[in-house]
Amino acid sequence: MGVDVVRADRVQDVIADDEQRRRAVFTARELEHCRGRRREYEHLAARFAAKEAVLKAFGTGVSRRMRFTDVEVVNERSGRPRIELGGAVAEFAEGHGLQQLDVSLTHTDGLAVAMAITTWERPCAST
Amino acid sequence: MADVDSAVKEAVVEALALDEDEVTPESTLMDDLGAESIDLLDILFRIEKSTGVKIEASDLGDYIQGGIPDDEFSDENEVITAKGAEQLAKAMPQVDPAEVEGTLKAEEVITLFTVQNLVDMVKTRAAAATG
Repeated sequence: MGVDVVRADRVQDVIADDEQRRRAVFTARELEHCRGRRREYEHLAARFAAKEAVLKAFGTGVSRRMRFTDVEVVNERSGRPRIELGGAVAEFAEGHGLQQLDVSLTHTDGLAVAMAITTWERPCAST
Repeated sequence: MADVDSAVKEAVVEALALDEDEVTPESTLMDDLGAESIDLLDILFRIEKSTGVKIEASDLGDYIQGGIPDDEFSDENEVITAKGAEQLAKAMPQVDPAEVEGTLKAEEVITLFTVQNLVDMVKTRAAAATG
């Protein structure tokens, strides 16, 4: 399991309106989903928190060659968030036998929280 | 290009809203200075702006691991191997290989990364970029 909390104004400070920075952290689909929304940076902060929560659930954090864009939050038609993995994170998941990955996001008053829960075929460094 | 030592210190001070005397070369970014992932991004973006050297968060792991495959850097329990410990001492000279071999988990390596390690990394990248 992994949990993370992020302030929306911190995300706004860091990526500002710099497209290159935004794309270093978020995928095109994530940016498109949040763009123009009221409280856009709360939505982005929730997605950043989800990426961190997933990496914490994997027990890796940013310690390996994992990119933030390797963990993508996509929304199903119902609005339920789902995680799609790519790159080094997907390789790690496959190598350790990831069976299930669920994530929940929430945000309010400038603060975003995400929780990720994983189940594995084999024991993992997850904390 | 700005002086790398000064540029890195300034980036750390500003990103973490610290006083200059709180940041020393030996300070570890995460444990001593309390940097979170979003702060690491902020630091790296600031360094890119002042020095022109682009480093992504994922590059920190690459630099530390030195190209050693994951299954050689750490064992099946994600604990650092002798080969991994030897590499750590190259990327982070303050690390004693004997102390970390067989005890340190791969996920904990980043917590040992210091301001000086970041300075060295930026200088290495800058040198590589200029050939």
